Amino acid sequence: MAKFKLFSEESNRSPLSRLWKKFKANHPALVGLWIFIALTLLALFAPLISPYSINQQHADALLLPPSWHDAGDVRFILGTDDLGRDILSRLMNGATFTFGLSIIAALITTVLGVIIGSLAGMSKGIRSSFFNHLLDITLSIPSLLLAIIIIAILGPGLLNTVWAIILALLPQYVHSIRNLVVEELSKDYISAFRLDGASKWKILVRGVFPNIYEHIVVIFTMALSTAILDIAALGFLKLGAQPPTTEWGAILAENLGLIYLAPWTVGLPGVLLFIAVLSTNLVGDGLRQVLKDRKAD
Amino acid sequence: MREYLFRRLSLLLFMLLTLTAFTFSLNYLFPGDVLTNLSGQVNSSYAQSQALADKYQLEENIIVQYGAFLGRIVDGDWGYSLSSGQPVFEHILLLFPATIELCVYALVVAIVLGIPAGVIAAVFHKRWPDKVINSLTLMGFSIPIFWLALLLIMVFCLGLGLFPMSGRIGLLYEIEPYSHFILVDIIAQGFPYGGFAFIDALKHLALPTIVLAMYPTTVLIRFTRDSMLNVLEQNYIKTARAKGLNRRQLILHHALRNALLPVIKQIGLQFSTLLTLAMITEVIFSWPGVGRWLIESIYQRDYPAIQGGLLAVSMFVIFANMFAEFSHTVLNPISRNQAHGKI
Repeated sequence: MAKFKLFSEESNRSPLSRLWKKFKANHPALVGLWIFIALTLLALFAPLISPYSINQQHADALLLPPSWHDAGDVRFILGTDDLGRDILSRLMNGATFTFGLSIIAALITTVLGVIIGSLAGMSKGIRSSFFNHLLDITLSIPSLLLAIIIIAILGPGLLNTVWAIILALLPQYVHSIRNLVVEELSKDYISAFRLDGASKWKILVRGVFPNIYEHIVVIFTMALSTAILDIAALGFLKLGAQPPTTEWGAILAENLGLIYLAPWTVGLPGVLLFIAVLSTNLVGDGLRQVLKDRKAD
Repeated sequence: MREYLFRRLSLLLFMLLTLTAFTFSLNYLFPGDVLTNLSGQVNSSYAQSQALADKYQLEENIIVQYGAFLGRIVDGDWGYSLSSGQPVFEHILLLFPATIELCVYALVVAIVLGIPAGVIAAVFHKRWPDKVINSLTLMGFSIPIFWLALLLIMVFCLGLGLFPMSGRIGLLYEIEPYSHFILVDIIAQGFPYGGFAFIDALKHLALPTIVLAMYPTTVLIRFTRDSMLNVLEQNYIKTARAKGLNRRQLILHHALRNALLPVIKQIGLQFSTLLTLAMITEVIFSWPGVGRWLIESIYQRDYPAIQGGLLAVSMFVIFANMFAEFSHTVLNPISRNQAHGKI
């Protein structure tokens, strides 16, 4: 469908500022970005700003409902659990583990994925075919199963979970990066660059990366949302973070027995997980849309 | 076409070999005794372990060991589970149909809901149906599956009491396991218990299917929408419009077929994720499938069972992918000419 521009306006802004201008116009994505930043700050400073420490027990306040409830207490805004621990503080500290560790896992995956992906993308012939089909196999192992195997080798624990998640995320990541690199390499300006005598390294660093790094950010958000869900799922299955670590999935699993008595202890960690993943996806989706729009004009 | 088949089959063989090699190497990577990890026999006497070492050819070099391992895999001798003492292969034969059943129903739900929703979203691009579907998809995409399962249990099982919480069928009914697909078994036996068993099985299926279908549905909606939007931009669609076809004809006869081709491929790629999610769903709903068995195996450090499960599940995913790609090729003339197994 043809698009007519009535007022042709010449835009000489840099690609990045055009990106930001379009991103700003997408309000849900902007809200997602604010929540994302807030969660990152929370993950960094949670121990400083949480009202109580995570293991502080209040014997006079067991299983208090959230404070807006009739039986609630304003000292504990989101209520307490069966040991009298403040849920708000525990959830705030949980951001460090679930959200913070996911960001770290996704960052490490990014670094590894970009290195392996560009190697796979630059290679040709039998080597490239080997890379691809090796990746195919890892793609065919369900990620949770891969994580379980790694945990079976290393033993359960939060840090081992992070390694497991990195390895489980890596194949898809490498695949996407490889496709990006291959697509970029087939373009004319890269051929011209090569004819100018640029080395492979130069082509990669000067030619390919500046044109794909925004897409890498999009892939990063996808990896991040998967990482959050996986860390929480492994925590929930008692294979990841062990109580009393305040990882959101582990909190959920710990309070599973209270689901009838105190549904908020199960509901609230889930709400936070949902918000964290949703904000990440909103940012990623918004960014993808903006990149598409910018390409169109 | 023959060359294509040959290439695909050799690729399949290569993938299966690498997978078995990986599984075999796990025997050495897992903690504990290699012989125990391989065979699942603990506390065997000297003579027994000598016989076992002989059988697994542990004295030979690693290539010969791997060859012996492959031979046993083909023979169906997958070792014994450490926790139950039963052959792993029999466990898998018994449990895998339950998982496949759940996955297939979830996939059917995902296809039935996801593809029409994606088409609607693309047809009404940037209008309210698109926006509603898009935001719902984003929410479904972001919801942690175990939390969704717990919410549904809280509302429908504990609150309203509409659905049972766990298992495949009520204890009142005894269904002779024949194909191990519960609905198929019930139908094959001519709806015993006056049809109540069938209804009960359906009720047991409802919540796990909904939970499991959530993620693939959202993925299919997004994928169908994007693919449909791409097709609608093509020139032949413009030509068809210029010829005066109405919207309905345009979409149903011209756009839909081409838009659905990549979706078929995508459905095959969903199996890996689907099995991951099935494992979590099975744990929550106590569904007696291979996923729950695997999670329990890891709690009990049952290494032969983990290996067997890995092998079975990954093989299933590989075959499902292969099948989806094959049907994609049969349906799509363009990709038939690409002799290379492209990914």
